Amino acid sequence: MSTRTSSLLLMLPALLLLAAVFLYPLLRYSWLSLHASSVLTGLVPVPNGGANWGRLLDDARFWTEAGQTLRFALCSVALELVGGLALALLLNRPLRGRGPLRALTLLPWALPTTVMALGWRWILNDPHGPLNAALRSLGGSSYGFLSTPATTWFFVVLADVWKTMPFVALLLLAGLQTIPADLEEALRLEGANRLQILRRLTLPLLVPYISLAVLFRLAQALGVFDLIQVLTGGGPAGSTESLALYAYLNAMRFLDFGYASTVMLATFLLLLVSLGGGWLLLRRAGLERTSERPA
Amino acid sequence: MSPSAGAGLELRQLCREVGDRRLLDQLDLHVAPGECVALLGPSGCGKSTTLRLVAGLDPASGGQVLLDGVDLSDQDPGERQVAMVFQSYALYPHLSVAGNLELGLKVRGMAPRERQRRIEATLELLQLGELRQRRPAQLSGGQRQRVALARALLRQPRIVLLDEPMSNLDAQLREELRPELRRLLCGHEQPVIYVTHDQQEAVGMADRIALLDAGRLQQVGSPRELSTNPANRFVASFLGRPAINLLAMEPGRQLGLRPEHLDLGDDGAVAARLLRREWWGHQQLLWLDTPWGTLRVLTAPEVPTPREPRLSWQRQHELWFDPQSGARLRP
Amino acid sequence: MAARPLLSSLRQQPAVLGLLAVLLLVLLTGNGLRAVQAVAAEPVPIRVLMPAPLADAVAGPVARFNASNSGVAVEVIRGPLDTETISDLAISSLLLGEAPFDLLLVDVSWLAKYVAAGWFVPLERWFGPQVLAAMEPGARLGNGLGQHLWRMPLTGDTGLLYWRTDLMPRPPRDTAELVAISRDLQRRGKVRWGYLWQGRQYEGLSCVMVEMLQAFGARWWEASTASTVLDSPGAVAAASWLDALLRDGVSPRAVANYAENDALQSFAAGEAAFLRNWPYAWREIEKGEGPVKGKVGVTPMVGAPGEQGGGTLGTWGLSLIKGSPHPEEAVAVIRWLTGPVVQRQLAIEQGYAPTWSQLYDDPDLQRQAPLLAVQRQALQHPQLRPLTPAYAQLSDLLARQVNGMLTGQAGPEQTMATAQRQSLQVLRSVAGTPGRPQQNR
Repeated sequence: MSTRTSSLLLMLPALLLLAAVFLYPLLRYSWLSLHASSVLTGLVPVPNGGANWGRLLDDARFWTEAGQTLRFALCSVALELVGGLALALLLNRPLRGRGPLRALTLLPWALPTTVMALGWRWILNDPHGPLNAALRSLGGSSYGFLSTPATTWFFVVLADVWKTMPFVALLLLAGLQTIPADLEEALRLEGANRLQILRRLTLPLLVPYISLAVLFRLAQALGVFDLIQVLTGGGPAGSTESLALYAYLNAMRFLDFGYASTVMLATFLLLLVSLGGGWLLLRRAGLERTSERPA
Repeated sequence: MSPSAGAGLELRQLCREVGDRRLLDQLDLHVAPGECVALLGPSGCGKSTTLRLVAGLDPASGGQVLLDGVDLSDQDPGERQVAMVFQSYALYPHLSVAGNLELGLKVRGMAPRERQRRIEATLELLQLGELRQRRPAQLSGGQRQRVALARALLRQPRIVLLDEPMSNLDAQLREELRPELRRLLCGHEQPVIYVTHDQQEAVGMADRIALLDAGRLQQVGSPRELSTNPANRFVASFLGRPAINLLAMEPGRQLGLRPEHLDLGDDGAVAARLLRREWWGHQQLLWLDTPWGTLRVLTAPEVPTPREPRLSWQRQHELWFDPQSGARLRP
Repeated sequence: MAARPLLSSLRQQPAVLGLLAVLLLVLLTGNGLRAVQAVAAEPVPIRVLMPAPLADAVAGPVARFNASNSGVAVEVIRGPLDTETISDLAISSLLLGEAPFDLLLVDVSWLAKYVAAGWFVPLERWFGPQVLAAMEPGARLGNGLGQHLWRMPLTGDTGLLYWRTDLMPRPPRDTAELVAISRDLQRRGKVRWGYLWQGRQYEGLSCVMVEMLQAFGARWWEASTASTVLDSPGAVAAASWLDALLRDGVSPRAVANYAENDALQSFAAGEAAFLRNWPYAWREIEKGEGPVKGKVGVTPMVGAPGEQGGGTLGTWGLSLIKGSPHPEEAVAVIRWLTGPVVQRQLAIEQGYAPTWSQLYDDPDLQRQAPLLAVQRQALQHPQLRPLTPAYAQLSDLLARQVNGMLTGQAGPEQTMATAQRQSLQVLRSVAGTPGRPQQNR
């Protein structure tokens, strides 16, 4: 009994912290999402009978952006996973100057997102950016990369992949280093080629690390804000706007804190559902790989 | 044991250098079909290096590996049809026992029916049938070793390599498993190389022992040959426990006398004084102070120790070495 | 109903009390300081935040004003180009409580939100009814809310209809004529398209909708109930007319992705008979060497047969930020910047419509700004966008729905019904109760 009490006591600070930074805002948002709280109410919360949630269900912008955010997250995370794995495999090989190379790879990740996004905006600037300068020197003409939805979307994903791929690579590299070399050698001796080793041995053993990277990155990507805010502001024509940006706009542009809370809460719920779904998928994939039995 | 020319595994002038470190220096070794040769030596002597060169896991800096007269140097590890049992067993942790056996066959594209047949036969042979669905983490050390062996034998390899396969097992289990291991591995078609740092194991397992030190082959021969007729001081002192006594009796010559070859009596050539007595299995090991230093003597427990003991030995047991090079000096 | 002081509800009570104490101290000692300053003749700095193009346009007059040694130094802060971005910038500093500017150039569509937030100082103390009476009727709109004047207008722009003088003897009188002329010209191969306008999903489409609703006798916003009336038969007729333009080929399908500049480029290349745009487009066409240069006429937006048409009001004006330490000097700057001298220059150099009636009567200006007569005409019946703090959200959903209709996702009736339903949801969500009376114009 006393160990139970003392362990509770030991956990208390952490629990209090968690409650303060997580539970309280969540409850506050939940409460606020059932109220009107905008310039029209003088920012005094007025109960509005669930009107925020009715509005949300019928809000074409919310659902369009939910789709956009999900598409962005899935594409980014998929590319980061493939790229990060390739990078991790490369960095795991005995190369000359591997230490500095690893440090160099991490550089984009260490850069603050806003700085990185500003850099990309400059690169893509029409007509003064280096990319357009290169285009012109090749005989082409300047292109508004950030004024066409398709190219803008592409570069937003690219910038995100560029920035966070090193993180994924680092995580997977840590995973790779837990795999004893003799496992790979044993399979090599059994006649497997590189691809077979990757598919039959390395990937299954990396599943816990891949899951971690995917879940972590998915959560981050679904809440993407700063990159898009700085790089595109959600444009052109809202084509890159994310849910986090929409929540921000509701609060800061529309001065509508009741609905901003609703959007934020709904985003959080979507995130939970997505992560839950992702986790189940990964677990199933992991189980399939690890329970191979003779046919 | 006289192998027909060209048959079996032959290592010729095999070298391995990493940077300016020479891990293996011009090793010549022949292993006949069905023969089991133990590579023995202290850690870092080059025995695991040799194994990896034969398997093709590391590139040789010089020399050749020939199997039945065919040079394997250009072949990938997967092509050499080498079975290897790793010290760690290298079982795939994400696969069941059956899955561990199957993966190698799968990557080689064997038909499912044939795979199944082979796996069943091997599981039977090693009495692993009941464990087929267990994961490696759910097995004991001995069971893991059996799975590793099963995986090695499953593919009917042309060479069998074992890298300290018993070092992770406790001593009693090791002794129990030795005959079984011999039954399974040796005396078939394949040459077997067995790497160990344990001379007991080498003596118990191998037809011949190749003793390595600092990347060089010191001597190769039957266990008996090595202990009775060591090529140099290293061989003499590495083999046999308690270790051989080395006496600087004459200038320019060093005398090696094994503790079991010293007799204790009232009329020996050398006067001695008893320092210490300890039990060595069912025998007693005596530590004696002599004019040539402290000597170890192994005697039966019932042999009494005289008040003023004197040591004697038979001439045929004398082993003479060069004090500087350690080379054997023959009369 | 007076605007609620947003700042005081944002702040904690003790903080407000503390601030009041500090303010009192500043007032007590400040008067003494000001006296010292007056002796030293140090000019009082007045900062004005403007979008970059307008900041550049007033740079000359501002320099002259500062040189006139009036005791005030005007400093124009060049804000971002984009209207929404500059509003975001202003809001973020206003939310923090201390704006680094005294005056803000305010778009007509932001006014209600800023007023509701309590960020402005009413201006009727300095600018009485007789001041506004000297302006064209349309220029007076969108400045007052409740019983107060919150903004002094600097420009009087409205949406206009551009037509080709080489293809027709006179502009169309109504929407039916516009379509008839278009189809006739298209049939005869004179132009590829009849009418170009802004159909992209953005604020510009909302401006087009304001004009179309007016053209068909409908409206977006009912001030008496503080609610939208987008599902009226007239509103459906307006949406149907736009929908039909695309279906009948009078407008290209690409209009659904056109903003102002896309439509202008195509019109300037001679591809169409009519264009809906702002006054600036005329100068763009005339200063280029395109095929339609010198062949373009401008007219106020037409209505359906028997209805009064009207262009959307897109005006800028100056508002005084609450908390400005020098309100008197700031008002002097407003008076100067919105005065005839500056407006005259903006009309000549940028084509902005003036607000003062006297400028429209000036023959010299008439010569230098050829659109003046049409602009004055358009200012007789302009249309305001809904004057509600929730305008941005309402505009977003309407533009979204109408653009959906233009790209074939729903028919006009369903489009307007959905827009109405969503608008009511937004209002209920934002204001607490549906159709609760808010501010009157």
